[in-house]
Amino acid sequence: MNMAYADFPYLSSILLSCVGGLLIILFIPKDKKDTIKWVSAVCSGITLLISVYLFFAYDKSLGGLQFVEKFQWIPSLGITYFNGADGFGLPMLLLTGIVFFTAVLTMWELQARVKEFFALLFLLVSGVFGLFMSMDLFFIFVWYDVSLFPMYLLIAVWGSTRKEYAAMKLTLYLLAGSALILPAIIYLVVKSGLNTFDLVALMHPGTFTPFQQKFAFLLLYIGFGILAGVWPFHTWSPVGHVAAPTAVSMVHAGVLMKIGAFGVLRVGIFLCPEGWQYWAHLMALLAVVGIVYGVFVGLSQTDLKFVIGYSSVSHMGIVGLGLATVTVEGLNGAVFQMFAHGVMTALFFSSVGYIYDRTHTKTIAELGGLSRIMPVATGYLIVAALTGIGVPCLASFWAELTVFISSFKVYPVYGTLAVCALVVSALFILRVVQRTCYGPKKERFAHLEDVSFKLGIPRMILVSIIVFFGLFPNVMLDMIQTASIPFVNGLP
Amino acid sequence: MMSWMIFNPEFYFLVAGTVFLCLSMARRVRPEQVYFIALILASVGVGVCLACVRLTGDLFLGTYRIDLFSQVFKVMLSMGLFLVVCLCTELNGIEERLHPEFYFLLTVCTLAMMMLVSSVHLLTIFVALELSSYSLYTLVFLRKGRDRGIDAGIKYFLIGASASAMMLFGFALLYGSIQTAYLVEILKILPGVINRPMVIIALILMLSGFFFKLAVFPFHFWAPDVYESAANQVTTYIATASKVAAIAILMRIVALSGGGSVYLIHILVTLSIVSMTIGNLTAIVQKDLKRLLAYSSIAHAGYVLIGILSMTHNGYSSVIFYALSLLVMKFTCFLVVVKVADNGRNLNIEHLAGLHRRSPILAMALMLALFGLAGIPPTIGFTGKLLIFTAAMQKGYFTLVLIAMINVVISLYYYLLVVKAAYLLKPEKELPDLKISPSTRVLAGILISVMVVAGIFPTHLIDLAKAAAMALM
Repeated sequence: MNMAYADFPYLSSILLSCVGGLLIILFIPKDKKDTIKWVSAVCSGITLLISVYLFFAYDKSLGGLQFVEKFQWIPSLGITYFNGADGFGLPMLLLTGIVFFTAVLTMWELQARVKEFFALLFLLVSGVFGLFMSMDLFFIFVWYDVSLFPMYLLIAVWGSTRKEYAAMKLTLYLLAGSALILPAIIYLVVKSGLNTFDLVALMHPGTFTPFQQKFAFLLLYIGFGILAGVWPFHTWSPVGHVAAPTAVSMVHAGVLMKIGAFGVLRVGIFLCPEGWQYWAHLMALLAVVGIVYGVFVGLSQTDLKFVIGYSSVSHMGIVGLGLATVTVEGLNGAVFQMFAHGVMTALFFSSVGYIYDRTHTKTIAELGGLSRIMPVATGYLIVAALTGIGVPCLASFWAELTVFISSFKVYPVYGTLAVCALVVSALFILRVVQRTCYGPKKERFAHLEDVSFKLGIPRMILVSIIVFFGLFPNVMLDMIQTASIPFVNGLP
Repeated sequence: MMSWMIFNPEFYFLVAGTVFLCLSMARRVRPEQVYFIALILASVGVGVCLACVRLTGDLFLGTYRIDLFSQVFKVMLSMGLFLVVCLCTELNGIEERLHPEFYFLLTVCTLAMMMLVSSVHLLTIFVALELSSYSLYTLVFLRKGRDRGIDAGIKYFLIGASASAMMLFGFALLYGSIQTAYLVEILKILPGVINRPMVIIALILMLSGFFFKLAVFPFHFWAPDVYESAANQVTTYIATASKVAAIAILMRIVALSGGGSVYLIHILVTLSIVSMTIGNLTAIVQKDLKRLLAYSSIAHAGYVLIGILSMTHNGYSSVIFYALSLLVMKFTCFLVVVKVADNGRNLNIEHLAGLHRRSPILAMALMLALFGLAGIPPTIGFTGKLLIFTAAMQKGYFTLVLIAMINVVISLYYYLLVVKAAYLLKPEKELPDLKISPSTRVLAGILISVMVVAGIFPTHLIDLAKAAAMALM
């Protein structure tokens, strides 16, 4: 993999603005809620700007790893501070920037324990950014855990609906995942005999025997897969999404679950390509079960957020299916789907969060006729729903299409099942939209206000991104291909 | 006479002990004065140990060794003493007239442990170990209120005495089979004869004495009761300094075997797994915070054993690092216990309710310490665990590491329950803010930054631990 060193530490600046924002927030008195919100907005805005800049400044003709920053951290253990961005990492950085910024804006109305909320949110997002840019196994693991443990407090303090149970379940599930990841990482590092945690150095073909690759890949796949919502380890995810406060749901479903899939890709598939090929069939099976299961369980839900939660399970199944095809198209589709699904769920949770804050209910049966009361708010919900079912000209369409085309070539049966499930999902999501937004106007909601322009800004950003990448999917696909084509061609 | 310079730390603490002995006989010394003297003596003690850290040499006909290994541990022990003394502003668990005795025993115990980490002869080890044990037995008895301390004290004493007896028997067997009591010579002979049944039995009996100190299964039964019944400051001392000393001597003894014995390793692996699992599973149901921490230290003894049983240079250095991290993290937990239970009572987990409002800095310190104990980055506890697991993996103990990681997840559950109490539970009646002196705030701030900074930039500490472990081999 060719590497281009950075002339300016862009990637570290992203981290710095997260950590710096965190420190600034810690030193602001907790009564100054507006100052805290503005600091959060500015710092998250900076991360968004840098990630957008990097996305477009990346030299696609050169490919490989760019904006590299590398120096020794703990020399005796072979740990380096090694950041870099490639065609897989940049879409994720962009996604994190978008979701983070919009999540901060979405929480503008928060009044309870503002300081602690934003401090924890910043900590969480630093972990996410760090993981997406790090090329050192030690740091990948550290960032993984850093992004997880604030979740406990974020859900347990500011959440709703069985929040303590959900927070505990989520934390234990995800850390159980890390209990598999850490031994696997140490195993690989020790077996390589290179005494380094440097991912690029470990990537050389022939570093690991086929057995080691198969063994480590399985651990990494399950470990990271728990976070990616792979069936049957997904049960934490709908419960967690429902309980979390809006911004956390956005970050969580939008970005955090992608960490899992990205971890499988970055650590599992990069280091153990033979293990990947060996277990691909299992991955495809679990992915398709996840897709079908998510759709059918989603059908019977009465809570709006549960519906989205289960649709996330099924959409992440599509990512898994893409990864399981072991083809360029599959990888392209999987990464694109991670991006598209991230933006889409962020919009979904953001609009549902708005409705819930006003109506104080998420039960579908109690809602209804909202489009007459809050036309704009329901408009956002409908856009999210349409993206979810893969309507053309919206980002998800291209992602899902790419995955399905490649999966038809490799696994025709699974591909067919997945597409059928998606048709059913269109049915159920449309039904949910119909029951919430249309029908007779309910008097008890009649006094509620629609989304103001200020509160609408984050949702507008999300909608415009969905539309942009729906109209110009090549911007994204060309980017991902700079990484996927050399990688798949380099496979043994 | 210059060679006696290397004995300075021990000498200093001997003098300090004598000062408290005299104070205990003097009348009309106010508790504040005793506290003040103790604080000064303990802080100078840290300085003395730091000044002597690079010295090396032998004393007393080669039964006493000063090397980097022993000196690093002496610094940790003196730091432990200093930190515990810092907590003694409200020493409410112990009657006022007994305060000088309390400090006397604390100092003597520290002195004994310092001698323990320097001992390289079976007899010096035994003498030092017994001296420290007897000080601790008495310290446990000191708790105000008759019923509490005595019960646990007797249990502690009985288990301790039987462990010592076993250890002495082990010494005898070892001496009988290889005719020397010098560790240096044992180190040369032992790897050759390690697979003789008598030597194995001797080693295991010997180790049981140290397992008792570290609260490894099956010698862990005293820990929860003693932790619960001793005064909060005494518990702090047992959980921090005495554990550090136990880890040090355990390493010295295990290092003797040179890694040759399969039986010994199997036994250590089993004990490690059982300790971790029992400690963590029992901790889940605990209501009393000190009991919970007792079970968590049983579990941590299991993690420490993983590093020790790797029997490599990396393994020992990781354990040295881990000992330091345990000292800091456990102390932070007890700082919160002592400060929240300001009248010297015991603390249930639900008494932490509303802590984040009553004292944000203590709540944050507690959360970081607990996450550190659970091994979550970027804390010092994670780095320690990573080092231990890497060392074990280099020797191919994959399953052991996996079991340890599963245990880490189990432990996270009860640590999270404590965090939940501090951050989520609402107290039944509105409690006033905790009165925390500025010095305590500074202490908590320092502990927080040590836990985080040493977790993120551990390079120098790791190098120091590696150098110290070299002295052991």
